[in-house]
Amino acid sequence: MSLQGVRTIAVLELRQRLRTSRWPVVLGIWFLIIGAVAGLTWWAVNIQSGHSANTLVDDRGTTLYDVVLFFVLGLGMLVVPSLTATSINGDREHGVLATLQTTMLTSADIVVGKLVAAWAISLAFLMVASPFLVWAWIAGGIEIGRMLLAVTVLAFVLAVICALGLMFSALTARTISSAVLTYLTVAALTVGTVIAFLTSMPVMATQQSVRVKVIPDTWFQDHQPGSAEASANPTAADCVYINRVQSTLHTERTWWLLALNPFVVVADAAPSRKPLNYLGFEPLQMISDGARSARMGIAAPDSGIVNECGPELAPSQAQLTTGGPDGAAFQEQQQKLEREKLNKVPAVWPYGFVFLGLIGAGSTFVAVRRLRTPIRKLPRGTRVA
Amino acid sequence: MDAVGGIEVTGVRRAFGSVLAVDHIDLRARPGEVTALVGPNGAGKTTLLLMLATLLAPDSGSIRIAGIDPVTAPREVRAAMGWMPDGFGTWDALTVREVLETVGAAYRLAPEAARVRAGELLELVHLGELADRPARVLSRGQKQRLGLARALVHQPSILLLDEPASGLDPRSRIELRDILRQLAASGATLLVSSHILTELQEIADRAVIVARGRSVATQDLTDSDSAGTVSHWRITSLDPPRLMAALAHHGLATHPLTDAVDVEVAGDVAASELLAVLVADRIPITAFAPSYGALETAYLAATEDRQ
Repeated sequence: MSLQGVRTIAVLELRQRLRTSRWPVVLGIWFLIIGAVAGLTWWAVNIQSGHSANTLVDDRGTTLYDVVLFFVLGLGMLVVPSLTATSINGDREHGVLATLQTTMLTSADIVVGKLVAAWAISLAFLMVASPFLVWAWIAGGIEIGRMLLAVTVLAFVLAVICALGLMFSALTARTISSAVLTYLTVAALTVGTVIAFLTSMPVMATQQSVRVKVIPDTWFQDHQPGSAEASANPTAADCVYINRVQSTLHTERTWWLLALNPFVVVADAAPSRKPLNYLGFEPLQMISDGARSARMGIAAPDSGIVNECGPELAPSQAQLTTGGPDGAAFQEQQQKLEREKLNKVPAVWPYGFVFLGLIGAGSTFVAVRRLRTPIRKLPRGTRVA
Repeated sequence: MDAVGGIEVTGVRRAFGSVLAVDHIDLRARPGEVTALVGPNGAGKTTLLLMLATLLAPDSGSIRIAGIDPVTAPREVRAAMGWMPDGFGTWDALTVREVLETVGAAYRLAPEAARVRAGELLELVHLGELADRPARVLSRGQKQRLGLARALVHQPSILLLDEPASGLDPRSRIELRDILRQLAASGATLLVSSHILTELQEIADRAVIVARGRSVATQDLTDSDSAGTVSHWRITSLDPPRLMAALAHHGLATHPLTDAVDVEVAGDVAASELLAVLVADRIPITAFAPSYGALETAYLAATEDRQ
């Protein structure tokens, strides 16, 4: 492999693509779609902030950032496979591959050159979407370093998908097969990992006897509607300890399935990490939190006792009154505890990052191997030239 | 016979699964000569050329191109070899000039050198006027000429041409023939596969005939008097009955046609003697010409047994 060889192929590919496709139109549509998503998000968060006087933080910037990045990744995974999935077998079909293979270019020059060109085009899509990320940054709430990390990881994911497409286009004779295989693999990574994780949950679940602090059923029998004491509420003093056999999930054993998901990798690398949870739509934050709580698992409490005693858990009168009319301060306190717990979970994305890196490198290697000439064993259905 | 240079193929065999494309081919193409590769469709010509072009490894047998083995040292072979495939495609968004410059870059030429070389080649194949048009607008014949130019970018000493004349107009054919003869005269080794035997007869010094994956014969085309080989001569006369009688008198095998007659004659000397005799007999002859070229005769003889 040489720089000059890679550049020759990359320039050739870019020239071919830029001249044969209507890129201004495609990029324009892309810009409009992302713009529409960003505009609607902005509109929605402004309405929300306007309506509720007690919004805890200004979340407009972070929401916009989360939504835009989420859509860029989602749409990118639809667009990017088409850049490479028919690249090699398409060239073979047009009779332009063999004439390159008989030049001084190596098969690595050809594959890496095509990869570089396709990646450059996916970066162009990323560039077109960047004004909306800048908008989110100006709106505030996100550190620039976090944003750059997110964009870098996103660009990396797109490169891996480019490599996957190249591998399938080198492996199959027909362009339709390689396109289908590439999209199926992307689907397996994005949807398949989630399905695998969900199905793994009941499989990995264990039956355990746990000690639980609850309000006993007898209390409710004594306080049936219509009885003399129907209006009374249970108090902490009513709680008793019982033993219960219950099924416990062990997501801490299968969380890595989620880590393989490109969405999780991007989301967990750079969620908008606000100090509090709230009921907004922040897809990256939600994905990242989901993956980290899966990694944390449902651990038994330190005391070994599961506390389901309602009155003991409910905010006391004192807590409610100090926190305003609806106990906002108490809720805030609870959310902070929850967030601190999640923030203590180690990051999930490095695992997926390494995994995707291996997939990308492996795909490139396979494609290079398949273009090596002279061919000794010709796979069924493929042609030389 | 020199040991190094040219193309040397010995006992090459190549199968695709259960299909035996090349069974056993021996071939020798010498520097300074044009060697023709002829044979019916499916005889294994293209498979052989793919093996020579370093794309396909033979199952057995050996190939030496300029003395180098394309299986173990493909890059060295590629540096010395130009290949013009049959019905190749081209990057349709690039201009004709860009196609040649890209190929130049693929052969590691510096940008300036590639530009100069592209200009020379465009002159050579008369595509100068179309240099800045997209390659996709070229006609089939123009594409063939671009293909030839592409194979010559790195000034190879070995040239493999698969059906180079197909789609060419008569003028381009004559120019192609001149280019190929010039290349041969400058010491290059040319292997040309084609169906157009009359074309090859004019270009080639030697023909290798392949049928059913085997090389069946090698015909020397430079030696015009191949005495002993029977060739067909076509004679047209103003008085056919007298001609037929004269031929019968000389005991020659004839194949009457509607307005002429084909006669089997052994060698060029015998043919000229026959003409002299007929003229001496005052038979009104209007045309006396070989009906098949030597190559056609050899080809028909070699492929007679095909189904």
